[in-house]
Amino acid sequence: MTDERYDVLVVGGGPAGLAAATAAADHGLRVALVEERVTLGGQVYKQPGPGIVVRDPAAMGREYAEGRSLIDAAEASTATILTNTQVVAIERDTAVLVESDPTRPAAAQPARIVCFARIVLAPGAHDRPVAFPGWTLPGVLTAGGLQTLIKAQRVLPGRRITFAGAGPLALAFPAQLLGYGANVTSVLEAGPPPRPGDVLRIAGAAPGNRHLLQDAIRYRTTLLRRRVPLRYRRIVVRAEGDGRVEQVTHAAVDRDWRIVPGTEQTEPTDVLGVGYGFVPSVELLRLAGCETDFDEDLGGYVVRRDDWLRTTRPTVFAAGDGTGVEGSQVAVAEGRIAGIGAALDLGALDAATARRLAAPSRRQRDRRRAMTRALRRMHDVGPGIFDLATPDTVVCRCESVTAQRLSETIDGTRDINVVKALTRAGMGPCQGRTCQRQVASMIAARHEQPLGSIALATPRMPVRPVAIGALADEHVGGKTLFVRQDDDADVPAGELTDEW
Amino acid sequence: MSGEDRLLPQWLRYEDTSGPLPARTDTLVIGGGIAGTSLAYYLAKGGVDVTMVDRGELNREASGTNAGSFHIQLAIHQLPAAGSPAGDVERLLQEARQNLAAYEVWNALDTELDIPLGVHLTGGWMVAETEQQLQVLHEKRELEQQAGIVTEVVTGAELRKRAPFLAPDLAGASYCPQEGHANPLIAAPAYALRAHEHGATIRTHVDVQEIEQRGDRAGGRFLVRTSAGEILADRIVNCAGAWAADQARLVGLKLPVRREGLHVNVTERRGRLMDPMVQHIGRRLTLKQSSDDTFIIGGGWPTPAAPPPRRYPTAWESAAGNTAVAVRVIPALADVRVVRTWSGVIVFTDDLSPVVGESQLVPGYHACVASTGFTLSPMLARRLAEQMLDRDGAEPFPPDHHLDRAAARTGS
Repeated sequence: MTDERYDVLVVGGGPAGLAAATAAADHGLRVALVEERVTLGGQVYKQPGPGIVVRDPAAMGREYAEGRSLIDAAEASTATILTNTQVVAIERDTAVLVESDPTRPAAAQPARIVCFARIVLAPGAHDRPVAFPGWTLPGVLTAGGLQTLIKAQRVLPGRRITFAGAGPLALAFPAQLLGYGANVTSVLEAGPPPRPGDVLRIAGAAPGNRHLLQDAIRYRTTLLRRRVPLRYRRIVVRAEGDGRVEQVTHAAVDRDWRIVPGTEQTEPTDVLGVGYGFVPSVELLRLAGCETDFDEDLGGYVVRRDDWLRTTRPTVFAAGDGTGVEGSQVAVAEGRIAGIGAALDLGALDAATARRLAAPSRRQRDRRRAMTRALRRMHDVGPGIFDLATPDTVVCRCESVTAQRLSETIDGTRDINVVKALTRAGMGPCQGRTCQRQVASMIAARHEQPLGSIALATPRMPVRPVAIGALADEHVGGKTLFVRQDDDADVPAGELTDEW
Repeated sequence: MSGEDRLLPQWLRYEDTSGPLPARTDTLVIGGGIAGTSLAYYLAKGGVDVTMVDRGELNREASGTNAGSFHIQLAIHQLPAAGSPAGDVERLLQEARQNLAAYEVWNALDTELDIPLGVHLTGGWMVAETEQQLQVLHEKRELEQQAGIVTEVVTGAELRKRAPFLAPDLAGASYCPQEGHANPLIAAPAYALRAHEHGATIRTHVDVQEIEQRGDRAGGRFLVRTSAGEILADRIVNCAGAWAADQARLVGLKLPVRREGLHVNVTERRGRLMDPMVQHIGRRLTLKQSSDDTFIIGGGWPTPAAPPPRRYPTAWESAAGNTAVAVRVIPALADVRVVRTWSGVIVFTDDLSPVVGESQLVPGYHACVASTGFTLSPMLARRLAEQMLDRDGAEPFPPDHHLDRAAARTGS
């Protein structure tokens, strides 16, 4: 069916994917690295867009340098690098690739099927979507969206920026914005202020993580020095404006992030940045049939893996934030482990060598993980975050489905697929990436079930929209396609169809 | 959001479908798709004590995963393998009349249930790429005329004028003004809601596992063991669609049905391009622009199987092949993006005739199962309910609908 074959196909050009591709290629394997954006680096190491030349790398900061060295290593390796390319489907040992150069017509970039012996999925994470009144107004941006504007396009989207969020980014990101010349008028952190105990815990967990501690202190100091009001235990309640955000209202919250009555305050702003942490982008993993567990601390639905980061599908590895949000350091370590694991599976390494090669990365991961756990108290996501939508708040923005319509439907079922069918929530171009967790939390609340017990909707390809001109293929079909596939390896014999 | 959506009712509450099973019922309906919910509705409305169960949620299989089209013209899968309808006139005539009767039920259903079901009469084109296919269109038109279906064959400049969205180099197309669609996501839930209001007991997540036949003993002819306990019933109606054969086996019957996964593609919304449905007489294609302005592209492309509760996966090959036919027929689709695919498990009977009525081998055991069941089930269920209610003038089903036909043929 296809001549394009790789020993290891790595999906995602962020820290985990870069490290995995480099590690696998180091052992003589035929490797391809697929990245949907025009440049490598992923979200954290996002590179300036085409046409922007970096003349003074030193001025770009440590993060840029770290990203650059990972990218340089991957580019220097034997791995084939396919940017501007999306993986839109995975079926057994094949993946469907679509090039996405917007300057050429779709029909000139036909989808192609490539075979792999092992695939490493490193899809990364996206901003945790939070639906509150006004969240769809122009001028309300996710942290990731703001970051893309700034890192890739060098654009500040407004004069006055209010930033609301939780977790390490809630401090780091506004501090970065200040560095780019933004006027950050206030910063709201949903979590508690740091206590001396936290600093000690972090310090205890931090040998080797010292720079992270330094970063945290530096961010806080930057905000203080620039007199940016930094307020803990407050979240955004609503955003308002005529055609775009003009003011935001925030309020104090308790331990569960539930609003304390009578504490609302309103302030004018041009831009509201929202960053309540990240959730793993599990679409491709779920489509590949990998089983998931639920861990709110890691971002919710996370894929289950073994020591070598194999998922429950033996040919599918998973690494980085897409498997649980733990940051770029863990992602790099995991990418290496997965790359070495794939090399082990394919016989390019013996078990002892693989173990030895992976040991430093395992240590690095464990060290960073200890730090994450120590910080957990500050990062827990409160369930109140899902209670902000009012009845007329649009929850599914692709299909304009309101919270009220969803509530009425959820009265009748616990099954998110049924809610989707009756309301169209999750049927649009994003396939529920944005609204599905909110819908799941509504189901959990109405039926008094733990959020983790609410199964997500059936995963369906394509994980990104594909133009018919690129998808269509006159040459498929023929005789074999229409013969019933009784040899489906995934299904126990006898379960397939009746004997008729 | 469409205007219709705003008028939708409050659906059944979870508490309405999750209570305990009654100890006994007159009629137990197995399956909560369009057949089961409509039968429960017609029986409950007629005063029957009816309990309807589904092993999962309502409307999750073929009834809710088909594209909602009403197929009135004879289609490729109905025609004999040779492609020409000449050899099979009687059966095709009967199917054509049946389609028409089914559509009449649909047309009155919004009013009957007082819920907007998105029933739209849009008309439908069936295109031919080759002269040979055009000949088939002419032949099938004669048959359709005999059955009372209005179709006309259109070619050349007139076709380009009336259907400018079609590729200009097609050999021709037949048009049937009686074709259309309804919203498959709402029809069965609407029936279930009204059935409940007429007193039917609706229970989801009840899997029927064993059926003990008790003859004429008091209490009920059947003792049914389910995942939610036992229930006694005098009559059973198997409305399990693609899984009807598995259910029938519980009473020792062999139903001539099998299941197949079918792939469907959905695009992003686009400006209004077309209202009629478009099918192909020689290749697998059913295409329409929904009332949400998305294009729904299917027509019988296969998907692999998976055992429940897993959903059948979709198949890239089917997506690629299906959309290739679509863009060949409607070139403007080339830059429209597919955002989603789904797979529906469809029932096929051995000879495409429905399996409906009461078994002679197991008295009290009924079935109501049909290929293209979305179009046919409301009509079949209504007729079956009339028979079960002993209504005067209830018309018996023709012999080839009989559910013992597979057993009769194998001599068992």
